[in-house]
Amino acid sequence: MRPYVGAEVALLATAAALVAGVYLVAVLDRFAAALVAGAVGSWRRLLVVPLAAAAALLVQQRRTTERPDGAGWAVAPALFFGLAAFALALVPLGPDLVIADPSTGFVAFSAAIAFVMIAVFLHGWSPNSPFALHGAYRYGAAALSFQIPFLLAMLATALPAESLSIVDIVRAQEPAWNVLRQPLGLPLYLVVGVGVSFWGPLNLSDASDVAGGTSVEDSGVARLLWTIARSAMLVAVAAMGAAGFLGGWWGPILPGPAWMIAKTGAVLLAILAAGHLLARVRIATFVLVAWAVLIPLALLNVFVSGAILL
Amino acid sequence: MGLTALLARVATGAPVPVFAVAGPGTRSLIRDLRLRPEIRLVDTPRPASVLLVGGLVPAEMEMAVARVHDAMAHPRATVLWSAGAAGLGRPEGFDDAIPVDGDPVAACVAAYRDILVGRRGSEPPILPDVDPAPWRGVGPYGQGGSGMTGGVPYGRPMAELGPDPDGLRLDVLPVAVGPLFPRFPAGLVVDARLAGDLVLEVEVANLLANATAAAPSPEADPFLRALGERVAIADLELARARAHLRSVAEALLAAGLEALALRALRIAANLRAGDGALVRRLATIISATQVLRWSLRGVGAVPPEAVAGLGAGPVARASGLREDLRLEDPAYRDLGFAPLVDAGGDAAARLRLRLGEAVQSLDLAARAGARAATATGRVETPRGRLEAESSASERLFTVLPSLLREHEWGDVVATIVSLDLDLEEGPLARGRARPEAAA
Amino acid sequence: MVALGPLAVSFAVFVAGFAVVLASWWLGGRPRSPAQTAPERVPFGGGADPRVHAWNRYHVRYYSMALIFLAFDMEMVFMYPWAVVFVREGLIAMVEMGMFITILLLGVLYAWRERALEWA
Repeated sequence: MRPYVGAEVALLATAAALVAGVYLVAVLDRFAAALVAGAVGSWRRLLVVPLAAAAALLVQQRRTTERPDGAGWAVAPALFFGLAAFALALVPLGPDLVIADPSTGFVAFSAAIAFVMIAVFLHGWSPNSPFALHGAYRYGAAALSFQIPFLLAMLATALPAESLSIVDIVRAQEPAWNVLRQPLGLPLYLVVGVGVSFWGPLNLSDASDVAGGTSVEDSGVARLLWTIARSAMLVAVAAMGAAGFLGGWWGPILPGPAWMIAKTGAVLLAILAAGHLLARVRIATFVLVAWAVLIPLALLNVFVSGAILL
Repeated sequence: MGLTALLARVATGAPVPVFAVAGPGTRSLIRDLRLRPEIRLVDTPRPASVLLVGGLVPAEMEMAVARVHDAMAHPRATVLWSAGAAGLGRPEGFDDAIPVDGDPVAACVAAYRDILVGRRGSEPPILPDVDPAPWRGVGPYGQGGSGMTGGVPYGRPMAELGPDPDGLRLDVLPVAVGPLFPRFPAGLVVDARLAGDLVLEVEVANLLANATAAAPSPEADPFLRALGERVAIADLELARARAHLRSVAEALLAAGLEALALRALRIAANLRAGDGALVRRLATIISATQVLRWSLRGVGAVPPEAVAGLGAGPVARASGLREDLRLEDPAYRDLGFAPLVDAGGDAAARLRLRLGEAVQSLDLAARAGARAATATGRVETPRGRLEAESSASERLFTVLPSLLREHEWGDVVATIVSLDLDLEEGPLARGRARPEAAA
Repeated sequence: MVALGPLAVSFAVFVAGFAVVLASWWLGGRPRSPAQTAPERVPFGGGADPRVHAWNRYHVRYYSMALIFLAFDMEMVFMYPWAVVFVREGLIAMVEMGMFITILLLGVLYAWRERALEWA
């Protein structure tokens, strides 16, 4: 039997990790933006403003549109957040510190990533608004393009582990982290990981040229929940990146969980900083690049790392 | 409700979500408000709490302002900012709005605090509660009558089938965007027929065309002054560099790079003739990642023959045309001025050219000394040739639909942003030529 | 307490996250202000009045890419177990999967040549 904890502990631990992670995303994002803009304000402001902005959305009315799909609109952020929590619960902090480690952990994580497309499309479809609908279909194109490179980049990490369990994948990185053994893996994973939570250069569905895309009609608690769900998914993707490619808990001196948290933070900071430096790509160009460049590269990564193992 | 009151108090520490409407003459003033950390300019009115209206909105746009006002969530307030021109009228229906002459940001912050803690009631809707299409079909949801797509389900018709370049017949969605779409200049309405994400047919309208621009202080704009008098080249070139940087900031915003846009705006706000190195550094950051160039390459291609003779300024020069009124000015010839030209012709080329021209203008401003430009009744503004009758952006309007047709919506937005249309130049110039009309 | 397997525990996390957000949505949307008027519900189009409903028979221009995706997604189903036994089976696994992938990649090349991956 694979290790796991009781349901109460699992819920509390995931909730704590998500609260901390989402807050960290909000603070790091502001910090990275301030660095790029060339004017870092006071630390106090940096730490307090995200909380105040959340409170501001909580006291705002939640608006509706003409004949929306009300149920779909409510379910979209719930599904997105649930998937993020599910994905995060699969990532181990240490060899024994894991909420749940099914033997098919990697497949379960991939399934969560695949389902995100439904959540985002539903979110864009529901308000019956042209810009939101446009964002939804854009996400469809982006998601269908990055799913395969995402899976292939992750799959390469399962080869040395000879297992689909995330704990085994991390354990197999004791001699050398995957980022060294499969140098193509992490960049590929990050490109598509950013796409899953549509951040920065791959923020096609909620972009500024469609006035906010799928979230154009969101106000109040709806907007807050959608932002939280997006950030939570980013945390899950960063944590899995740290586990799958950066050696998870392996590292000198510090205890394993500290390494895991530090690595997740580093991946998050890299993603958020890149979001403020890299322009949004064109959807048509991205689709072409995903199929003509990313998938062949990801396959090359799989076969080269396989050949090394033989 | 103790919790609501507590949340409201915490919320007063948040940047005020503001949806800003720039009336003629206030465009760059509104854009620069992005630099103020106390407020946050949002792209859609839904999450906005304060509607900030700068200057006098022309009658053609009043309806749009009212719609945007009603789209805002409660609690909400409106701030009418005179932007320096006292005694402005207020748009119809905005009886509860807060007029302000001084700092609009302070007024927004105060208004936001007041509506949060309940010192001020949330504004009621302006438009009457009338259904857009009261006719309903025979079915329980208003559908039917002449079929789902032929009837008026839910009080609005559905899109109809139409031909498509792919040879299929699918729905063609008629969508009008503007005049308050955040990426477009205020007053621009793009009336598109969309098949999927592709713009099949497009018409554009300029709602500022007949505006009597009660400009806050037309004398502050050196290009407007240069229409009738000799203006120091140093002033003109500094203003040109500033305008180019603001245009670059708009392009960065459209590309999702808000932080870099703030950097550009900050440089523009404190610009001095010796800041060439700052601008060059900005250009290095923008080009270092290559992604912006990659995503703008081939977008919004302007063939030189389409804009030849329009005096389209940077747009023409980025398409390889050597069009610049400064070439005819002996004062500029004296400085050894030669226009920058880029053969690219696309949005990437226009961005590159504007950054280059900003550096060039700062260099000219530093070397100009006391030289003044010759007054000829026409002037090369950052958008091109400005005359008392028409501006470069207004003349570009004639070719605009041909540049947008059969492109993806994102490319359409990127194209319009890269053209840096300025619809207020024309009304301001005309108001200057006929002062009685502006009064 | 009932002993759940690891998958069931992670699924419980999903259900809890889903329920918490759904409840917040409902709690945060209780009417605190008068019902919205018709103009207040109009979808945002930059201040313009929409002429039709946004929902339409949308021309999904990437449909051919979506079909290729289906083929690759099926391939992924085979690759999961393949990754587990890869080291044990050795070269034969590599060659077999290599052949399979090559055929699929030829399909992508064909689609690329036919400009099926481009639009707009």
